[in-house]
Amino acid sequence: MDAVPANPAAIAAGSSVIIRMPSSNAKIVCVKPGTTISLGKFGSFRADELIGTAFGHTYEIEKDGSIRPHRQPAFDSADITEANNREIVDDPNAQKLTFEEIEALKTRSLAGDVTAQEIITSLTENNEAFAKKTEFSKSKYIRRKERKFMKSFVPLETTVYNVCDHFFQFNPAKIRCIRTDTLSQVLGLANVYAKARVLAVDDGQGMLISALLSRIADGGAVLGIHDGDVHNYDLLRHMNFSADCKERLRTLPWSKLHYQMEPFTEVLPEDPVEQDVVGRERRLRGHTRMSGTIDMLNHGGLDALVVSTNYNPTTVLKRLVPYLGGSRMLVVYDQYKEPLVEAYAWLRGSPDFLNVQLSEGWLREYQVLPGRTHPQMSTSGGGGFILSAIRLAPAA
Amino acid sequence: MFHEYKDVVGCGDQAVVYFTPECMYPITIAAGDEFNNKYGNFRHDSMVGLKYGSKIVSHDGRGFAFLLHPTPALWTQIVPHRTQILYLPDISFISLYLDLKPGKVVIESGTGSGSFSHSIARTIAPSGHLYTFEYHEHRAATAQREFREHSLESMVTIEHRDVVASGFGKTGIADAVFLDLPAPWDAVSAAKEALRKDAMGRICTFSPCIEQVQRTVLALDEHGFSDIRMFECLAKGHEIREVPLPDIDEAIGGHKVNFRVSKYEKKRKRDAEPTTTA
Repeated sequence: MDAVPANPAAIAAGSSVIIRMPSSNAKIVCVKPGTTISLGKFGSFRADELIGTAFGHTYEIEKDGSIRPHRQPAFDSADITEANNREIVDDPNAQKLTFEEIEALKTRSLAGDVTAQEIITSLTENNEAFAKKTEFSKSKYIRRKERKFMKSFVPLETTVYNVCDHFFQFNPAKIRCIRTDTLSQVLGLANVYAKARVLAVDDGQGMLISALLSRIADGGAVLGIHDGDVHNYDLLRHMNFSADCKERLRTLPWSKLHYQMEPFTEVLPEDPVEQDVVGRERRLRGHTRMSGTIDMLNHGGLDALVVSTNYNPTTVLKRLVPYLGGSRMLVVYDQYKEPLVEAYAWLRGSPDFLNVQLSEGWLREYQVLPGRTHPQMSTSGGGGFILSAIRLAPAA
Repeated sequence: MFHEYKDVVGCGDQAVVYFTPECMYPITIAAGDEFNNKYGNFRHDSMVGLKYGSKIVSHDGRGFAFLLHPTPALWTQIVPHRTQILYLPDISFISLYLDLKPGKVVIESGTGSGSFSHSIARTIAPSGHLYTFEYHEHRAATAQREFREHSLESMVTIEHRDVVASGFGKTGIADAVFLDLPAPWDAVSAAKEALRKDAMGRICTFSPCIEQVQRTVLALDEHGFSDIRMFECLAKGHEIREVPLPDIDEAIGGHKVNFRVSKYEKKRKRDAEPTTTA
């Protein structure tokens, strides 16, 4: 009997979506019913238009704020011809349309009176040098103009990969510069599985916590130890996690690591008003939750220890390794190698760990087009480092 | 045992006997059984009841090893190779890119030595499913036996089948398809058929040669796949050594400096190689 596929993924009301624009710019938006989503010069559309649709389709924005699916052909039939760039001189006068005429076209395009296709056709027809270009060069020119003028976008799912890639591109400091391949290796090394109870430190605003939560299910838990009284896992809100999933995240401030919980003794006042009851209930819930978290921690034997910290990782490991089970993995990520070197030396010098390894991910994307396959011109030089080891069973 | 942990070694367990990062072996714990190598004779009966991650000592007390719980990553290091396999960097990146997680349904061809299959099973367990296809009869049988011995049968269905000739025999069920074939472009249409129609389906192919990649990309485009991207992914290991860095003034002053190996390095060497018998 074939397995039944999980619930279909469609854009839900109020969910987060990554909107990718032709210029390769992207932004994370909330698809809130009744609102308008603005993409600056690319136009605005009604959020309601996206609710219930599938991810990944390309849409053109219409004048009235509606959206129309649009199939972008990926490959042109460009091929090698006799043309070359020998006679082409970089001359701004090659384009016969004036600056004012082009600006007028742009304004009309924003108003929806002229399509991007029409603008591009005008540009190419009025460009003296265009005819002389090679087929590949023409294709590249048109593609560049499309990225500038097309009023289209693609809604992407906030998968762990997409979110990590988004922030690595647009705000790497937020996620401590962890690149997608490195993040994926942290997950692989840590052996995260559905029922795993994972002890984690994530000073990267919750990128790692989100990745861990996405890999566990019923029976699993992520226990995040954090600075301050309240965690700073800002990225969680983009992940569209279900209530069940969010329940699996337990957090504990560092200051409460060795905390002995007092029993809950709060009583209601003589003549309790609703506020008193509700307030006490909330505090009781919080107390129960923290008790449960501390119990889980103190029970020990956790299935993985995963760390991405701004503190000295050796000191973090010394505190948290005692809670890790035998034959389980510890994995430490850092964007710099130096903090991990000290930790490496400590792990190697200790009889309690095996297979201490330090590695660095390397990722290169390629353009693959007929006749034009090559590595991308710019590639990330650093996606961080990973220190890993197996913890031996603690002495009885 | 590959898709969750247990703490205590029991009879019938799959375990890993670990000597060094380059030297480890899979064993099935059985009463009366023994593991023998140059480090010694290790009796299974002494292992039962120990905690995973314990040190085990050879019967004559001269050699030692560590008994580890099996994981897909360890299995990738020790699986007997019937084909070239995928290693951790590619396995990890592909898993993340295809958004694999508990509950997902995945199709894989060819199964090969089952290296990636074990990782997929662990990632999608317990409610997901992996349908894996291998056209080599003996390899298919071996992989099937391994999945059974590793208690993965409820999550992994392996079929001896040539997917290029006969497709997957599946329609609209997969969240993701992974192809590691000599001619993946010939399986794209079957992959499209097998991917679910009610949500986004993702496909990934793995090829050693750029020519294969080019043909596959064309086929993907022709079949209406969008957002086609190609990556090369590696992990560079870093070796760290502690070395003395004396001040040059020592030499100028005429002192003889001993560039001896630090004591940390000596200890590491000592612990890395368990005692060999004479």
